[in-house]
Amino acid sequence: MPCRKEYVKESKDPQEVLDCLQEKFDKDLAVEIFREQKAGVENKTQFIELWLKITRERFIELVDELFEFDFLHFHITSGNDDGDVVTLYYHFSLFRVADRGKRLGLTIGVAVPKDDLVMPSLFDRIPGIEYSEREIREMLGVDFDGLPNKALIFLPDDWDQTIKPWRRDETGPGPDVVRELS
Amino acid sequence: MASENKKTYKIPIGPVHVGLKEPITAWLDLDGESITNATIRPGAIHRGIEFMARDRNPIQVISLSERICGICSFSHVVCFVRAVENVADMPVPARAQYIRAIVLELERIHSHVLWAGVACYTIGFDSAFHLGMLLREKVMDILEAFTGNRVNYGMGTIGGVRWDVTPAVNQALRDMIQYYRDEFDAFYDVVTEDPIAKARMRDVGVLSREDAISYCALGPTARASGIRCDLRWSAPYEAYGDMDIKPIVPQDYYGEVHGDVFDRFLVRVLEVYQSLDIIEACLDGLPEGPIMTEPKIPKLLGQLKKADGMGWGAIEAPRGDDTHVLKLTAGDENVTWWKVRAPTYSNAVSWPIMFKNNELADAPLIINSVDPCISCMERMLITDKGQDTGKVVTKSELLERCRDKTRRLMQG
Repeated sequence: MPCRKEYVKESKDPQEVLDCLQEKFDKDLAVEIFREQKAGVENKTQFIELWLKITRERFIELVDELFEFDFLHFHITSGNDDGDVVTLYYHFSLFRVADRGKRLGLTIGVAVPKDDLVMPSLFDRIPGIEYSEREIREMLGVDFDGLPNKALIFLPDDWDQTIKPWRRDETGPGPDVVRELS
Repeated sequence: MASENKKTYKIPIGPVHVGLKEPITAWLDLDGESITNATIRPGAIHRGIEFMARDRNPIQVISLSERICGICSFSHVVCFVRAVENVADMPVPARAQYIRAIVLELERIHSHVLWAGVACYTIGFDSAFHLGMLLREKVMDILEAFTGNRVNYGMGTIGGVRWDVTPAVNQALRDMIQYYRDEFDAFYDVVTEDPIAKARMRDVGVLSREDAISYCALGPTARASGIRCDLRWSAPYEAYGDMDIKPIVPQDYYGEVHGDVFDRFLVRVLEVYQSLDIIEACLDGLPEGPIMTEPKIPKLLGQLKKADGMGWGAIEAPRGDDTHVLKLTAGDENVTWWKVRAPTYSNAVSWPIMFKNNELADAPLIINSVDPCISCMERMLITDKGQDTGKVVTKSELLERCRDKTRRLMQG
């Protein structure tokens, strides 16, 4: 999948981006947060932050759609064990070099069911995502289909890989392995 | 602790990728002196900070976030408190926004001056290194006079800052600005005039614009590859909302981009001058008013307990954009989850590309050029393909090789 390796100079209005995505993804896309970030003496809106949630099936489609706007600059993946699902949040920037105040902070949330903890890898589109996918793999136990290097990244080599440090269920660290955190 | 399973004893939970002075492993494949490939293996200094935060309220987590990094400690605090303020929808008084910007810029000056000194040390330019250490003292003294501390300032809180700019601090800051404008030129001269320093840094550790984009490089590392990115400009926060800050890129000064160590040096040196201008502008425009939204901590905690949702703080730290994401749940006083991404986390992904086809003697300089930790050198394993033996080179041997190369250049 060839992706542009260049940033656009012309930004689009965040609402326009959102309308375009909602039209295409309809019910599969939910808007969680549309936040105006304010700053300065007059407390004016400086830039926009947008949190979306997409179904896993259409995640890659959404990413490819976003690449139509700009190269998707990747910040980090965060996530949490939410009971039946592990929710991952991919944090991106659009229009990173467009102009003053034009960056659009974009978070895409995906719920991954615990009985099938696999996500498609974005490594071929964004090579800079490698560490983060490896991190999520070892910390939350979500596998990435298409990620070439699945070695441990932050955990030591002799780590018992049945323990997933960020999980809150039986695969997470039990009280017997956690010491003196206060 | 389960005694029958020793492996669970070492349990570093949560990836806290601290910015500077962290152990990280670089595996270099060598063909003679030339580096053909490199593999980075971080993970030696994880302290489980994100896991610890689950048992702490946001006020307590401020202290944790401050201890992620020794140099950009305030960047992490601002990043964290901004995420909390987002969730709690808490305004920050204008005066506090300006004070935050002042401390953030002081921190940037500290980081860049220290880095420039250490880079000179790496190539054996010891007089410049000592000058860097001397210059650095001034900003640390000012931080101490301002906040009471030289490293972890205890300055930030949710909804404001904890110390005000008094007339004496204002004067000390203005004196410091003048001091650096007078004295920092020596480093600028290193960049522009010293032929040996230039020869050591030019076209070494190149990161092309395309690679910097696809590997998501940040901060001075990205800007040195010609990418005009700076969150203070593209997503203004705090006092930067009232300022027009231009990202510093080498093409604006030299008309061309090499994306090498020299360009990274240039960008950082010029950013010191930019930071001085920003501090001066903040002092000139410092608004009157309170420095905290809610000074009573129990009341503040009560408000935060009602907050519900997710927040994302992203600011331009000295090494690139720092990102904190967290969730607060209404009714639960602790932080539900928290994710920290220090800039080196992203910049380290591009190391293998910078290493490729460079000489072993340049390895310390290249590692240093993204401004991470020099002590990582002790953990570097070098395998010489020609001899087919794995030989461990110590930090001092590697440093000696780097300095030898400068000597060879000087002898012509």
